[in-house]
Amino acid sequence: MAVRRISAETLIELAVATLRRELQPVLPPERRYTAAMIANALEIARREILTDGESARWELIDHLYPEGDGDLRWLAADIRSGKVSAAQVPGLHERLRAIVVEELRIRNPRLLKSRQGSS
Amino acid sequence: MQPATRPHTLDPANLDALATWLAGVLEARSVRFGGASLLSGGAIQENWRLVADVEGGPRQGRHDWVLRTDAVARLTMSLDRTGEFGVLKAAHAAGVAIAEPIASCADPAIVGAPFLLQTYVPGDAQARRIVRDPALEDYGDALTERLGAELARIHGITPPREELAFLPIPLLPPGRNEVARLRGALDAATEPRPALEYVLSWLDAHAPEPEPVSLVHGDYRTGNYLVQDRRLGAILDWEFAHWGDRHEDIGWFMARCWRFGGDAREAGGIGNREAFYRGYRSAAALPMDEAVVPYWEIMAAAKWATVAALQGDRYRAGGECSIELALTGLMPPEMELDALDGIAALAASGDARWQ
Repeated sequence: MAVRRISAETLIELAVATLRRELQPVLPPERRYTAAMIANALEIARREILTDGESARWELIDHLYPEGDGDLRWLAADIRSGKVSAAQVPGLHERLRAIVVEELRIRNPRLLKSRQGSS
Repeated sequence: MQPATRPHTLDPANLDALATWLAGVLEARSVRFGGASLLSGGAIQENWRLVADVEGGPRQGRHDWVLRTDAVARLTMSLDRTGEFGVLKAAHAAGVAIAEPIASCADPAIVGAPFLLQTYVPGDAQARRIVRDPALEDYGDALTERLGAELARIHGITPPREELAFLPIPLLPPGRNEVARLRGALDAATEPRPALEYVLSWLDAHAPEPEPVSLVHGDYRTGNYLVQDRRLGAILDWEFAHWGDRHEDIGWFMARCWRFGGDAREAGGIGNREAFYRGYRSAAALPMDEAVVPYWEIMAAAKWATVAALQGDRYRAGGECSIELALTGLMPPEMELDALDGIAALAASGDARWQ
């Protein structure tokens, strides 16, 4: 049997599995939603540890602000003011979608799977 | 920071001030309460069920009521209880299926916050339970059609209305007005959302031509109506009511984010779109424009993304230690994806208005 490392992600995985296997079945119905939220939060945390969730955002920011003086807040403000728009930045729609998909890979991969051609 | 039990406004052990106030409003000799129990739901306000015995006056007898307070946290986009009571009275007078509004009180001294009182209507509003009911196959389209007709009745309420004078008439076309409201709300958000800003810019640039404004419920969706014995009980949660474009409510009801996983049933996860439109047309004073509904579905996604971001800020910056608020704060990309794909679908439709 291969030796397994007890790391942050495996501890979270174990915690979720134990919560689901040993606690959820014996909880009163009014507490099951809370348990489901805890499991969901732990799974998001595990995926955040394992996944690079920021490459699409930094690609776009580096592209738009080559001097290194941009961030998400600037980008949001520039889109609102019209300084950054689909007319001026080819592929802006797709690049913003890529950022959203990247976030969803961590926050809700099940939703991504339900949307054909999203990942 | 410790997870806190949410403090309640109303003290069920001390209802004397409420009884005295209510006796005055109802022209009764006395009002006595047989107890108060907190109902589930209501992230923004509290709902208490009260059994009351009224002696004297036009409402003499035993009553089953619901008291709704402003809770600890209130979204800036929502009406206060006094405003909501005005909207409820107008809807009740128009024959909309709602719990009868009894009284409202702006004085925070009576129960600890402003509140309104309505009759108790039994039923289930739990969205996931409703959309997963296997019997929906039998009654889903009939319920959907009825909800379409009820919405048309709400939209039959139009300005000017003296009792609704507190609702501002939008100066901009309603689509652009909604974008301005959402941008204003987002200004206070802690997490920048470029994709959401992009969606709002598209909505601003493609707002439909204005039509005469109607009373828009503002949160007309599965989860905000009661179902009892497979039939509609009452329309709930009027705190986001405003003057606007009727199609906003239709798009909100159809939006994917409000189907609760029942994606195949496009109307609120409970029925088909055509059943809803059929019900709406049967009771509408003005014909609806089906072609603009997808625009309002994109608006719905943008609005829910904004609300989710602000709910998350109640944890991030508001000091409320709640796992539910934190998880809601992570939801905006779900709606942003729907909105971006909705925009792409309209752009590919060939319809000139969406180019």
